[in-house]
Amino acid sequence: MATFTKANADYLRNTLQEAVVKCSERCLYQSAKWAAELSVSLPTLPSVSSSFDADTDSQMQDVDPPPISPAFHFANNDPEEARLEAQDLSRYLLAKSYFDCREYDRCAAVFIPSALPRGPLSPTSPNSNRRTPTKAGKGKGKDSGVITEVGSEPPSNALPKLSQRALFLALYSKYMSGEKRKDEESEMILGPADGGSTVNKELVGITRSLEGWFADREARGLSGSNQGWLEYLYGIVLAKGKTEEDAKRWFIRSVHLFPFNWGAWLELSELLNNVEELQKVVPELPQNLMTLIFHLYASQELYQSTDPIHKELDELENIFPDSQFLKTQRALLYYHSKDFDEAETIFSALLHADPHRIDSLDFYSNILYVMSARPKLAFLAQVATATDKFRPETCCVVGNYYSLKSEHEKAVVYFRRALTLDRNFLSAWTLMGHEYVEMKNTHAAIESYRRAVDVNRKDYRAWYGLGQTYEVLEMHLYALFYYQRAASLRPYDPKMWQAVGSCYDKVDRPVQSIKTYKRALVAGTYYDQGSSFGSGTTAGEPTGVLDPETLYQIALMYEKLNQLDDAASYMEMTLAQEEGPEEDDDDEAGGHGIGVTTTTSKARMWLARWEFRRGAHVRAMELANELCQDGVEVEEAKALIRDMRARMESGRSPS
Amino acid sequence: MSRYLTPSKVGLLALISLYTESVVPSAATIPVLSFLISQILPVNSVKSRNDDLLRSRDITLTLDDFQKATINHISGIPGRTVWDLLLNKLWKINSFDALHVFFDTLSLLLQKTPEQLQNEAEDGADTDSNPNRMLLSRTSPLGAFVRRAQLEFTRLQFHDGLTLWKSFVTYRAPSLLQWKKRNQTAGNTSFDVNLQQDRLDLGDRLTEVAYGELGTEASQVAGVSTEDVEKLLEYQVDQMQRMGNRLPQAMKMKLRDMIESGVTIPSLSHYVSFLDSWKAGDYPSSFDKLHRYFDYTMHNRDRTFYQYALLNLAILHQDFGCYSEAVVAMQETISTARENNDMVCLNYSLSWLYHFGKAHPEEIHEVQKKGVLGTDREALAFLKAKAKETSMWALLSTSLLSEAKLSLSQGDGVAQAFESILKASHLNVTKNVLNAIGSQMSMQSSVFGRLGVSCQAWVYGELFLQCYASPSPVEDVVHCICKSAFLLSQKGRYEDALARMEEIEEETLGTLRYSQYWTSSLGLLKFRRHLHRDNLTAAEHVLAQLRAPLNLSQDLQMNVSMLEMDLLIRRGDYSKAMEMLEELATKLNEEEADTYQRVKLMTLKAQIYDKSGITQKGFSVALRAASLAHRARLLPALWEAVGRVSAVLISLKEFSAAAKLLDSIMPQVLECEDCNLSAQTFALLADAHVGMAGQAKAETLQRKEQLTKALEHIERSFDEFSRIEDVRGQCEMMAKKATIMHLNGDPVLANDCAAKYLDIKRAAKDQL
Repeated sequence: MATFTKANADYLRNTLQEAVVKCSERCLYQSAKWAAELSVSLPTLPSVSSSFDADTDSQMQDVDPPPISPAFHFANNDPEEARLEAQDLSRYLLAKSYFDCREYDRCAAVFIPSALPRGPLSPTSPNSNRRTPTKAGKGKGKDSGVITEVGSEPPSNALPKLSQRALFLALYSKYMSGEKRKDEESEMILGPADGGSTVNKELVGITRSLEGWFADREARGLSGSNQGWLEYLYGIVLAKGKTEEDAKRWFIRSVHLFPFNWGAWLELSELLNNVEELQKVVPELPQNLMTLIFHLYASQELYQSTDPIHKELDELENIFPDSQFLKTQRALLYYHSKDFDEAETIFSALLHADPHRIDSLDFYSNILYVMSARPKLAFLAQVATATDKFRPETCCVVGNYYSLKSEHEKAVVYFRRALTLDRNFLSAWTLMGHEYVEMKNTHAAIESYRRAVDVNRKDYRAWYGLGQTYEVLEMHLYALFYYQRAASLRPYDPKMWQAVGSCYDKVDRPVQSIKTYKRALVAGTYYDQGSSFGSGTTAGEPTGVLDPETLYQIALMYEKLNQLDDAASYMEMTLAQEEGPEEDDDDEAGGHGIGVTTTTSKARMWLARWEFRRGAHVRAMELANELCQDGVEVEEAKALIRDMRARMESGRSPS
Repeated sequence: MSRYLTPSKVGLLALISLYTESVVPSAATIPVLSFLISQILPVNSVKSRNDDLLRSRDITLTLDDFQKATINHISGIPGRTVWDLLLNKLWKINSFDALHVFFDTLSLLLQKTPEQLQNEAEDGADTDSNPNRMLLSRTSPLGAFVRRAQLEFTRLQFHDGLTLWKSFVTYRAPSLLQWKKRNQTAGNTSFDVNLQQDRLDLGDRLTEVAYGELGTEASQVAGVSTEDVEKLLEYQVDQMQRMGNRLPQAMKMKLRDMIESGVTIPSLSHYVSFLDSWKAGDYPSSFDKLHRYFDYTMHNRDRTFYQYALLNLAILHQDFGCYSEAVVAMQETISTARENNDMVCLNYSLSWLYHFGKAHPEEIHEVQKKGVLGTDREALAFLKAKAKETSMWALLSTSLLSEAKLSLSQGDGVAQAFESILKASHLNVTKNVLNAIGSQMSMQSSVFGRLGVSCQAWVYGELFLQCYASPSPVEDVVHCICKSAFLLSQKGRYEDALARMEEIEEETLGTLRYSQYWTSSLGLLKFRRHLHRDNLTAAEHVLAQLRAPLNLSQDLQMNVSMLEMDLLIRRGDYSKAMEMLEELATKLNEEEADTYQRVKLMTLKAQIYDKSGITQKGFSVALRAASLAHRARLLPALWEAVGRVSAVLISLKEFSAAAKLLDSIMPQVLECEDCNLSAQTFALLADAHVGMAGQAKAETLQRKEQLTKALEHIERSFDEFSRIEDVRGQCEMMAKKATIMHLNGDPVLANDCAAKYLDIKRAAKDQL
């Protein structure tokens, strides 16, 4: 990638432009937008003679070399497809305009006049079908001009002969109409009909048709000339039916056939639950630029803000220097590593560059929320509202603002609005859960978190929130499960481990608790050392300092286990955090200690008592005096001192 | 358009918080407070009317107003005026968030509720606020305003809040220069701290997205809130209903602009346009608008307005002369109001029905049979009781006046009428019912008119016009003006009368009913004048015009008829005049009309008999008229009747009796200040004296004496006639004078008189 020439750029630009046209031909608006943004972000290098770089070329198997001047209609190089497309061009245009007017059923009816079998997608039907999608299809003949009986022989091709483009549009609009109905039937957010009960009733029909179609293609040996779009749709349908492995396969097939459909990549990344799965998928992917971007995106989604990922991002930014998408990814990486200042700077620059851009502003608002930058958050909300007040992102920003102002009822109103606009809007579910927790409405909170997790299982905040809510309900064992999920998603976040630890403590498993607390300590130090990039200092603890709270908890656990020596040593460690690590003392004059806190005071008190019990009166006295000086728990300390004096005197007098 | 909050309210809140911070020195306290109060209190609270007008003129408070109110006061901080501090306060709101904070901290201005105190005590948190800060009581005007503002702000949706913020920025923008003087760092973008931080400028894209084109649009839009507009509309409705005005054209435009700028149109605006088109006499469109208004407001604020819809409908019908429909609508109103227990509406409708019955007795028969109101007296007693019960003082006052009227028209004692009027007057004064004072005074004036004390009647009319014209319904004013013009014309001061008629405000005549009344009255004046000048063709033209409007009030119609008969008499068409008179008389008898009108008719009848040479036939009529008038204390009518009686006596050659009779009434007749009456009476007296001279022996001193007296009376009569420009009367008197001169054997003087007679005739001819 280092030798990125103008030719490369031109080629890439053309390819992306073509992708934009293709996506918008199929009404995949978001993918089209993404590709268009990316193509614009390419640098305009000085013109060199156009020669094609072979290795970027290789990824394009089914597209023509780019035309010299950008055209809006790219001819299909598959003659059969081209013929079909020419044939149903007028009908296609009609259907497309219907789709644009959001008349999905009408759009579908242009190409597929008869009703596809409808009904809920039973969990067994795709499973049973998917085992033999291709093999069963082979046997069946091509007597498929007639509409076969509904559901009798699923894999036969019941679809009329259409170009792939038309077919995709028809089935996709069916899918969309199903989604629309589903949303309508779900009624109110968190209402009685909202939840798992409503399903997209078109899924069965689409699955059957697609299975039949694929089988037919396979049988005719045409699968090589598939364009990837129908595979993408099939993947979506399968993912909806929770048959994720298959869905993954079909998505991979789709991106092989047409790599510039960002939607397919997005769907694929949503199916990856952890880094291991990502690693497993990567070899199966085509070797091209899109895979790089995908890898970056998926890693970001899995909270992998490591140096290699940043390097990857640097490389990509070489190619697309102005890409807002990539910048957003960078900011999110900083956000995940809790480097809020850096993330904020990037987002702020993005906002200045394109004030009308609302995408992922909700993350920005989260960052501002954490930074408690209220004026800025209000301003952001103002800007977003000025552009479009009925975007879920905007609603989230406003909701966050109200949440920061502790006006939880209003915040909930806005999060609900965001969800009404888009039920799959993840952040809103999670944030709404937070608000319900604040409002002490645990049931609603649990439901909101649950929905968030259902939408995206990688949202650690939702898992953590669920844990918290159950903790409020005093169901610690139950909460433990959720905390563990959160911790597995964020293995380097000490907060998660602390939560797990305290849960273990509550369910009386001090050994495990100690383990997890220690893990939390490790995670804390990891972060501090890991944040080599950026200059952020506000996030996390100062370098080299261990979290005194965790240390204190560990000490208490040891006390529970009656290993008092261990406990005492951890208490000492807690105390030591007041001054910070010794080696720092010379460089910066004691600037890094956390100072006296309630936790350290508690530790001091404990130590004083312990020393007192051990008979080390001098040390105990010293500690107690320190306590008095710090002005924390003075009464208790004084009582202790009196007690000691009395003891010492009584001990002295006989001696 | 926001519901309540506007940038100017934010300014007021800032000023209030300044005030509570004890930086306003005691010298400035009262001006600042009165400025605040004048802005905060509702329009129709206890304030003088002029303030109301002033307020309606500038419903939006500009920053300049703040400056004017505060810049002259030196604050507690040296070198700074209150205005400086206020500016500082306003410019410190430097982001949308700051605006939130501003509203949140408003609660610190208020005294804490007991619950809050308790909570604090429980929490142990002792929020020791600024000791210099004075706390506002939660129920004080300022406190209530602050609380309302805070509540309204909490109710705002985010984007509504944004609109407020943006309009506030625009609102504040003009003061940037002034603030810069005190605060050197201020720049173009210092209205938002976020823009400053990022060093943005006005042209920046982000700024543009966030604030749009500052200062161009939106400034007008958010300057007024729905609440303001509603207040304004309420004021308009109040004015229109109370005064019966129409909207001035300029105000109409302004209102339309305001309403167009906002999304939420208060339904009251439909009512305003309904009233407007009603007053304009546009029957179909006022119907349409009435229905539109009540369709929007039938259920508003948990109250049913159905009875009011019907009430309006009934009044509308009545106004446009659909009496039977009006009665039906009003009956439904009454039953609905009863159902809904709306006493105010019920009482009002009953009183309306009563008055309607008085004005149109033929329409009310059906209702009376059903016994909604019972007899007049019962109805009035009922209304009075109800009004007292629900303390509707205006209604009580009008009921009392109606009672006075009733007792007068039924010929009861004048004392009783005066008692009722006095009661009403007392009520008006003690309960401050400014509205009713007009009708009370005009009532009083008309009572004095009946008693023949014209100067009193005149004085009361003047008093009303001078002192109470503005807060009274326009209708009363119009009536009073017409009446005083009539009085003037009676004295023969036609020019003054016409000038008085022109005194009426032009806007008033925008209302159809008033303009009709006014033109008819004017027509009557002119009609009478033409008659007197013997310009009968012109009189006929005017008469044709007077006949045109259909729904004239009964008084006016009566007057027109009387004058028409006069016209016929002057033409010498006695039989036709008689016919007409008989017709009118039967109609009046059927309707149990006002005694005054009946007496008038009877005397007229006697007069016709007289003119047609069968004077004695009019004796019984004249006598009856006299006795009726005497009983009802209708003194001018009585004198006229007595005049007719004495005419009969003269025809019976009972000259001395007639002279005695006439002599005795003469002072009162003069008191009436009715030139026509006194001229007629003098003429009769002269006749009587001539008769007496005839009875005396020729060339005796007695005869000479009588003749001299007669001459004197003729002179007086001539004077009176010439005052009212009555050509015929003048000529008659001149002729009589010439005859007497001739009898006296003074042909030169007689010739003179004859010449004068001809002169007068010629002059009258020339004038035509």
